[in-house]
Amino acid sequence: MQVEYPKSSWSERFLLLDMLEGLKTTLRELFKPKVTIRYPEERLDPANRFRGMFRFSFDRCIACKLCAVACPIDIIYIDVHDEQREVDGKMKKLKVLDRYDIDVKRCMFCSLCEEACPTKPKSIWLTTKTYELATYDRNDLYFNMQQLEYWEHRPEYAGLPPDEDEQPQIPEGKQIAGGVE
Amino acid sequence: MNAWMTYLIWPLVKFLVAFIIVQVIVAAMNWIERRLLGFVQARLGPNRVGPKGLLQIIADPVKFLLKEDIVPASAEKVAYFLGPILPLIPTFLVYCLIPFGPPPTFVAARVNVAILLVLALTSTGVYGIILGGWASNNKYSLMGGLRSAAQMVSYEVPFGLSIVGVLMITGSLDIVKIVDYQAQNAWNFIPQIVACFIFFVSMTAENNRTPFDLPEAESELVGGYHTEYSAMKFAFFMLAEYSAMLVNCCLIVSLFFGGWTLAMFGQGLTSTVLRHWGFVGGLIGTFIFFVKVMLFMLVYIWFRATFPRFRFNQLMDLGWKWMIPLALGNIFVTAIFILAGQERLMYWIGIAVIGAVIYYLRPKRAVTHERLHASRVSEV
Repeated sequence: MQVEYPKSSWSERFLLLDMLEGLKTTLRELFKPKVTIRYPEERLDPANRFRGMFRFSFDRCIACKLCAVACPIDIIYIDVHDEQREVDGKMKKLKVLDRYDIDVKRCMFCSLCEEACPTKPKSIWLTTKTYELATYDRNDLYFNMQQLEYWEHRPEYAGLPPDEDEQPQIPEGKQIAGGVE
Repeated sequence: MNAWMTYLIWPLVKFLVAFIIVQVIVAAMNWIERRLLGFVQARLGPNRVGPKGLLQIIADPVKFLLKEDIVPASAEKVAYFLGPILPLIPTFLVYCLIPFGPPPTFVAARVNVAILLVLALTSTGVYGIILGGWASNNKYSLMGGLRSAAQMVSYEVPFGLSIVGVLMITGSLDIVKIVDYQAQNAWNFIPQIVACFIFFVSMTAENNRTPFDLPEAESELVGGYHTEYSAMKFAFFMLAEYSAMLVNCCLIVSLFFGGWTLAMFGQGLTSTVLRHWGFVGGLIGTFIFFVKVMLFMLVYIWFRATFPRFRFNQLMDLGWKWMIPLALGNIFVTAIFILAGQERLMYWIGIAVIGAVIYYLRPKRAVTHERLHASRVSEV
């Protein structure tokens, strides 16, 4: 289909109206608000389903190692020992986490570990809004349990909208933005 | 001793003050241009150095001074060094001749053929460019230099011819007298609207600015005549370009837009009124002058943000087939009006043209889109 543009009259062409029209357009653009985000000072809030950095909860974890099994590149390292503990007046054998490390520099953020996690709410999840993961040393991207649980200077996960029932609840007293308890 | 003061020391002091003001404006223009271009293109432009990016004005010269100054091994050394310096000299000399405020205090040197001198000096600016382009021993540089020479020669003619109409009306080559005439009658852009348009187009072409920036067309010639230049030598080319822009803006303001006055038909801030207020009046006049000049510098940037580059044959077509006949016709028509003693009639013609442009550019109620849509629908 050939689009026919309205033809300009002789007087319109003589007065160079097309060029003036172009100048008008650029002048209008000059005063429009700009879309640039000046990154370190201004940050965009990622979308609610944004898959950011891991978050791990020691309290919820039952040390089942399913996430390590699910991991396609085996970068989750878990060490567990058994312990006799008194729960509700009875001696019980419990698994206790010694080590929960993730080698994030090799991670592809597939979230299969999150899917494999049997606890509800999940004890490992990827929907934090943290995306500032750059480090000066590649070894800084090897995270242990504490690092995974408490992000230094990183914003807390705000949570999904209330209608999503599977959202992970951060327990009271754990919302420390830096340092270990 | 008194003669020394009158003819050497005072003009030098005036020239230096004007020179410093102009150089500050030129340095600031770099930031203003990048910022405004950014705004037009929906970005922010340089905004990291200092508040609002203002320290960019200082950061750029520092960078230029600290960079390595590379001279190509096969360059013609003397011409290579002269290239960036030569265009600076005439543009700086012209600042002596331009009246920034009411004379005698705000004019460094009042010459009764000032316009001829200005034309002669500004047209020598091309030597530096062509010399630099040739001395670089680089075919792209040489082509840029040659293009620049061809373009400058072509547009020098309508540039000079468009002034003739103004000279015929005002009857003087003295810029001060031209400005005073405009304050007593209408500003020259009204009776000489065609000449004003030709002057503006040719001065854009003279400065190698978009849409006439073929000598430095990045997509064809790498960088044109300054491809091989780095560090401070490159900065000198930029300095010359922006200084020449400022000179031409001063010229168009003096010739067509009433210079330092803010008056028509003897009403308003004429030279007499400003002189009555003494030195303060002169400063007000200078301020008015620089506001007008900066407006035209902004129009340069606005043009750069809007128009794409010409092809070379289109450039030559426009220069020789349109601008020169138009300028000659303008001289002819002006002469007839002056002979018939109907100079006031030219005012009405100018007002009619400006009114027609404003009438056609009035905000329309999306009529264009409806017309466009209707024509599309009819095709289907």
